[in-house]
Amino acid sequence: MASSGAAGPFWRAAGMTYVSYSNKCASMVRSCLKEPHRTEALEREKVHFSISKWVDGKPEKPSIREEIDSGCGR
Amino acid sequence: MIIVPATTGQMGVLPGHVPTIAELKPGVMTVHEGTDVSKYFVSSGFAFIHANSVADVIAVEAVPVDHLDSNLVQKGLAEFTQKLGSASTDLEKAEAQIGVDVYSAMNSALTG
Repeated sequence: MASSGAAGPFWRAAGMTYVSYSNKCASMVRSCLKEPHRTEALEREKVHFSISKWVDGKPEKPSIREEIDSGCGR
Repeated sequence: MIIVPATTGQMGVLPGHVPTIAELKPGVMTVHEGTDVSKYFVSSGFAFIHANSVADVIAVEAVPVDHLDSNLVQKGLAEFTQKLGSASTDLEKAEAQIGVDVYSAMNSALTG
């Protein structure tokens, strides 16, 4: 990956983090699998978030959000 | 012996290899155990080779090459090659380039 020297890998120069790069690559590989491996793999892509807002220094009741997210963040 | 797809090129690892941390690019990892050869496609990740000749390969996805569907790979490659041509922002270009890299690596894994 020696293109513009100090710029590092092209995805880093475009503002992407390693984690999102790696997750995108993984998501592309999963989408090319034959069944039944594909359905098993797509299960691994699911991300669950438990979110609670904090008010006056105390957390409120958490809410669970389920999203199918391939690569958190950018 | 294993051969891992490091960003600096295919890297062969035998017992006694110097301790190394290598970043991997999407590609094929070949495992030679005696006369048995197994090939796995790794999506990206790292290879840690320790001083005691233990090697850890870390990948988000590592699948046997015969789990890949070549039709889906070729369709994806055509799609991302086209996206690369029409991308405008840096981020779109990077995503399209990643797509082209990953799908062409999968394509060579299946045809090579």
